[in-house]
Amino acid sequence: MTHLGLVSGVSAAEKGFGVICFDPGAQRIEALGKKNLPVSEPQLEHLLAKNAERLMFTADTAALKACDVIYVAPDVPTSDHGASDLKPINSLLEQIFAAVHPDAVVVVLSQVPPGFTRARQRAERILYYQVETLIFGRAVERALQPERFIVGCADPAQPLPVAYRIFLEAHGCPILPMRYESAELAKIAINMCLVASLSAANTLAELCEKIGADWSEIVPALKLDRRIGPHAYLAPGLGIAGGNLERDLTTACRFADELGTDAGIVRAWLANSRHRRDWALRTLHGEVLSKIADPVIAVLGLAYKQDTHSTKNSPSIALLSNLMQFRVRLYDPFVSASELPNPRRHAAKSELEACEGADVLAVMTPWGQFRDLDPREIAGRLRGKVVLDPYSVFDAAACRSAGLRYFTLGRPAA
Amino acid sequence: MIVHRESPPQKPVRVVILGARGFIGAALKKRLGQAAINVLSLASADTDLALPASVETLVRALNSSDAVVMLATLTGRDNATLMKNLAMMQHVIAALERTDCAHLVYFSSDAVYGLGPARVTEETPAAPQDLYGVMHLARELMARALAKVPVLVFRPTLVYGAGDTHNAYGPNRFRRAAQKEGIIQLFGGGEETRDHIHVDDVAALTTRCLMHGSTGTLNLATGRSVCFRELAEMVARQFPKPVQIVETARAQPVTHRHYDVTNLIKAFPDFKFVALEDGLARCQEEVMGVT
Repeated sequence: MTHLGLVSGVSAAEKGFGVICFDPGAQRIEALGKKNLPVSEPQLEHLLAKNAERLMFTADTAALKACDVIYVAPDVPTSDHGASDLKPINSLLEQIFAAVHPDAVVVVLSQVPPGFTRARQRAERILYYQVETLIFGRAVERALQPERFIVGCADPAQPLPVAYRIFLEAHGCPILPMRYESAELAKIAINMCLVASLSAANTLAELCEKIGADWSEIVPALKLDRRIGPHAYLAPGLGIAGGNLERDLTTACRFADELGTDAGIVRAWLANSRHRRDWALRTLHGEVLSKIADPVIAVLGLAYKQDTHSTKNSPSIALLSNLMQFRVRLYDPFVSASELPNPRRHAAKSELEACEGADVLAVMTPWGQFRDLDPREIAGRLRGKVVLDPYSVFDAAACRSAGLRYFTLGRPAA
Repeated sequence: MIVHRESPPQKPVRVVILGARGFIGAALKKRLGQAAINVLSLASADTDLALPASVETLVRALNSSDAVVMLATLTGRDNATLMKNLAMMQHVIAALERTDCAHLVYFSSDAVYGLGPARVTEETPAAPQDLYGVMHLARELMARALAKVPVLVFRPTLVYGAGDTHNAYGPNRFRRAAQKEGIIQLFGGGEETRDHIHVDDVAALTTRCLMHGSTGTLNLATGRSVCFRELAEMVARQFPKPVQIVETARAQPVTHRHYDVTNLIKAFPDFKFVALEDGLARCQEEVMGVT
């Protein structure tokens, strides 16, 4: 019952299917039985309550005997370098294979490298791989209304088993069967195309900052280009965060190295991501740390993106790890600041309390509620005038009117 | 990227400077003195590191608790200078293999990068394009091969300051030319961008690294590059009389160099660089004070 597993189970129940949610951890199952969710996602709590009669939580594999389709969705942990640790999913798959009935369809939903599924195929079991497209903060929405299903099959010419087909068709979207390896690589392909867009956006946004152009003025022109499109990932950011994209890039490099293909562009994306991740530190140093003795730094947002509790590869945490010697005032709606290692931290109870007496404000996660803050009130609480707002949560003109020196991605300082 | 072995920082027992009478060595010695750190200065007049006999001299002079800063380098890009420089490092390493030391700081050069990439980080692959760069890269590898000694390698950009006796294209030559002739000559239009770091910043950063026992590789640069035309104009503004800036025919294609100093900021987030304008003014004051 990981983030992916829980969202998938609750969403399947919302589609009208009976769902058995299995996790070998008895404590986690007990907590879920009491509706204590280990993750936060819009709609999740509501749908869990709404579909309680169709959901059963268990730590007993024997319950899986009753299932026609079993999704296997544990997190695949990654190292600091983005390499996958497949031991947990291997172990879970063995448990599942031993517990399910022979006609059951086992579907791997976790992020696994090409070659994984075929290597685990066995004659007496029916095994599929399905690409997951979970986005933190939009996971339920995407599980209920997927754009398409990408299904990895041992033989894509064979029809899908009836129970699996009925479940997929209930979502009313295209189903794309393909061989295991193609589906596994499709997941990487999707993420690489996203990263390509993001890297182009980040590279150009940095040029905008130096040249005097405004990336936000350029983006609409790109989105009206049919070859790029209205949904293209063109918002500049602080590198690639979250962990999943880095995992796919690392996997692509590993395969390219093993097979002798060119991955130079992938390594360039990773280098650009590392470079842009430190935009806030460089700007902070240039504007504050190199000018003021013992400054006070306010940071709004600790999660790696809005609407999630996850801090994995969070630019905010990365920034704070370099500010150990400074006084920091922190606020995040979901993440507790008191658990951070910064010895001179103050865990504020509100955004404005965090700003109190600070020389600089850095908005490191674009939480929606931060948009409601009035720059004049912020200016009134700050001791200094510098605001770092990489994601353009605030209006630049309003900040300027409030007497603030405003820095954001993709345009020169205001 | 560097790693601090000492946190909080501690004064080294003693710092031995090899090449102490050079431009950077003298500034470092002064800075360490201000920090009340015990220093042993060794210059070419004390022992010629190019000679094998220098090994015994060093063995007698060094203690295992010393932090050693290796600055001794002959400028020049010819074969003979290359071999002399390698011999100097060979003898230093031979001595350190016998005595050990607590910390070795080797002053390399940004020449190890070549002029291919305009933007440089410590992760930029070394690709020296002349024997001077090859020499520094070889000496870096010689230092890192020391089994028991924690090693820090500095790769400084162009260092300037009043005490620089060299006359390379840049702040010092511009200042001397402006003072003597009232003319600064540029290569082409002076379009090339370079990063200039004041020698006091180099000395301050070295002192910090010595106190932290830092290891790894660090580019010594400010993160701000200016073109030579802008630099010439800054120098010209230091003089009361008008200084003419003259363009000449370009012999080499324009190349640029920018340093991403994120790793330096991470190592010392509170470090305050001497701004180029202030550094040039400081040079002028010091030179005028001397004359």
